[in-house]
Amino acid sequence: MIRRSTWWAAAAGLLLAGPAAAQPAALPPPYQGAYQPHGVDEIGLWHEADEEERQLAASPLRIRDERLTGYVTSVLCATVGDDRCGSVRVYVIRAPMFNASMTPNGTMRVYSGLLLRLRNEAELATVLGHEFGHYERRHTLAAFKERRSGTDAVAWMALLTSLGASYQTMQNFQNFQLAVYGGFFRHGRDQEREADKLGIAYLNRSSLRPQSATVVWQHMMAEAEASASAKGLKKPNFRYIAFAASHPPYAERAAYLAELAAPDGADRDDGTERYRAALAPFLAQFLDDQIKLNDFGASEYLIQNLATAGWTATLWLKRGDLYRTRGAPRDLAAAADFYAHAVQLDPTLAEAHRGLGLSLMKTGRPSEAVAPLQTYLRLRPDAVDAGMIQTIIPGGPQ
Amino acid sequence: MKGLFWAFLLAAGLTLVVGNPAQAQERSATRQGFELAPNSGKKILVFRPSISVGAQSTGGLFEPNGDWTDKARTNLQAALEKAQASLGNAVIAAPEAYGDDAQTLQEHLQLFAAVSDAVIKYQFFVGNRLPTKKRDNKHAVFDWSLGKGVADLPGAKDADYGLFLFTRDAYGSTGRKVLQVLAAFGPGLAVKSGQHEGYAGLVDLRTGDLLWLNADAAMGGDVRDAEGSEKRIHQLLEDFPGSTPPKAQPQGPAQAKP
Repeated sequence: MIRRSTWWAAAAGLLLAGPAAAQPAALPPPYQGAYQPHGVDEIGLWHEADEEERQLAASPLRIRDERLTGYVTSVLCATVGDDRCGSVRVYVIRAPMFNASMTPNGTMRVYSGLLLRLRNEAELATVLGHEFGHYERRHTLAAFKERRSGTDAVAWMALLTSLGASYQTMQNFQNFQLAVYGGFFRHGRDQEREADKLGIAYLNRSSLRPQSATVVWQHMMAEAEASASAKGLKKPNFRYIAFAASHPPYAERAAYLAELAAPDGADRDDGTERYRAALAPFLAQFLDDQIKLNDFGASEYLIQNLATAGWTATLWLKRGDLYRTRGAPRDLAAAADFYAHAVQLDPTLAEAHRGLGLSLMKTGRPSEAVAPLQTYLRLRPDAVDAGMIQTIIPGGPQ
Repeated sequence: MKGLFWAFLLAAGLTLVVGNPAQAQERSATRQGFELAPNSGKKILVFRPSISVGAQSTGGLFEPNGDWTDKARTNLQAALEKAQASLGNAVIAAPEAYGDDAQTLQEHLQLFAAVSDAVIKYQFFVGNRLPTKKRDNKHAVFDWSLGKGVADLPGAKDADYGLFLFTRDAYGSTGRKVLQVLAAFGPGLAVKSGQHEGYAGLVDLRTGDLLWLNADAAMGGDVRDAEGSEKRIHQLLEDFPGSTPPKAQPQGPAQAKP
């Protein structure tokens, strides 16, 4: 027993000596001027981030639209201020997930799935402010240092345990290892909370409505519920924190963001009109990518949500696509109905005529399908599938 | 029994810490029928090498080091130019790409990385080799390609072959070395300090076929200094088709400098 406890005492001593010494003097914030990284670790991480950015700049995943990128950047500047946003490069990535990220050198990635899900400028500002918060507080560097000292401690502990090997020491080692790994995740969630708080502070100081911040997470919960219910799963628990959860749960975030929003900001503009106008040219593509995720409940929720401002031809068309993709006979009947609405609103929407014709064909109404399919061919004579559509029109090619 | 127990601990505790035990991890292959005669006047286009240099923490984490990486880039470039004479052919650096060219180039750099990764995993080394690739090995078949798209890469029109280089070095930190020594003397565990991988590949810029690939998971030569970089380049381009037979230095089994 004595021998064993000596080892653990020695291990504890190593642990205390392990973590790197604190920063000697406060460094300027990374957004100030043309800030250059300090110290081996920060320089190393920036170097890696620079290399990744070089690849990202030439990546086919990027949406190379100067207006969209410019719009997102302008919202970031309106949130964190012109003096800060100049240090950030924004890249819009075509990926249908709700996500955005920030690297230590000021590379901001904004996913198209995020833009599709948000409803106004204030909500976008919530996320951009949060990401900027990670950058401002050097979260990547702090997490790296913590992982390093944690894994160092695990390595020493493994060595010591193998010297005094017994069932009990091994049990202790495994507990220790779990505690260290759990600590990484817990600190990661704390960083997210800190970034959330910085983000809402920026929003409170901006000219946008801070009450929108909580709405982001309320919608995320509603979408997750819609997705689960369409799959027949039970309602997700929005308060539960899993061992390896990277972020605090939705309900917690929604609650503290609602609490921290400045009450006097409630009458401010949330920039809904500007946001819609900026996103309009991309809506069809973003919805297309979302539909291909094969998450019926979530996609239907998003379309319904966009339609609260009024149904457009694009929304009817994409709803038709969503149902026709799932493709049960009842879905095809519904899809035909949605496409008919789209055609009514915009008779020049070729894809809607195509979808309508194909849905009618599959629901046993081939005679009704002829006219829309012919309209499609007239509107898109050079369509890649023109030949195939011609062969399925009853009566053969015209 | 005690030995077994330690072995179990090693599996349980040090999995995160210790990499795979060093095996013979050096291999190259040449496409069947491909020959590059020395001084045949062919031009080889070198694409921007992928280089990262850092340290390995006590726990085994990669610690990127910007200064070392910059030094390695300069040193390896200089060493490559010096080695050009022994390659027997003209080596030219790929021009800087802009706009759509930059995108195509980036896609091909990633494609080369994915293909060479597949060669290394599924054909070269014991572990995950695919049955079809084992058969290829028996018949000395080496058949991989990046596709004809390489012909459109910037600079490809003025060259015959493209050369891709990759190196990744993690030098064992002091803590790692102390752990290594203590683990060896105490419980007798083998902890690896430092990791030095690299590969180089030659691609036909007309057909996209992979003509030659050399991979080494335990490379020698310290890329942080000029002399070590020459050794590294020499190892990367070992068995390079058409290179002059008498090698610069006699090479033992690949040994990483700590």
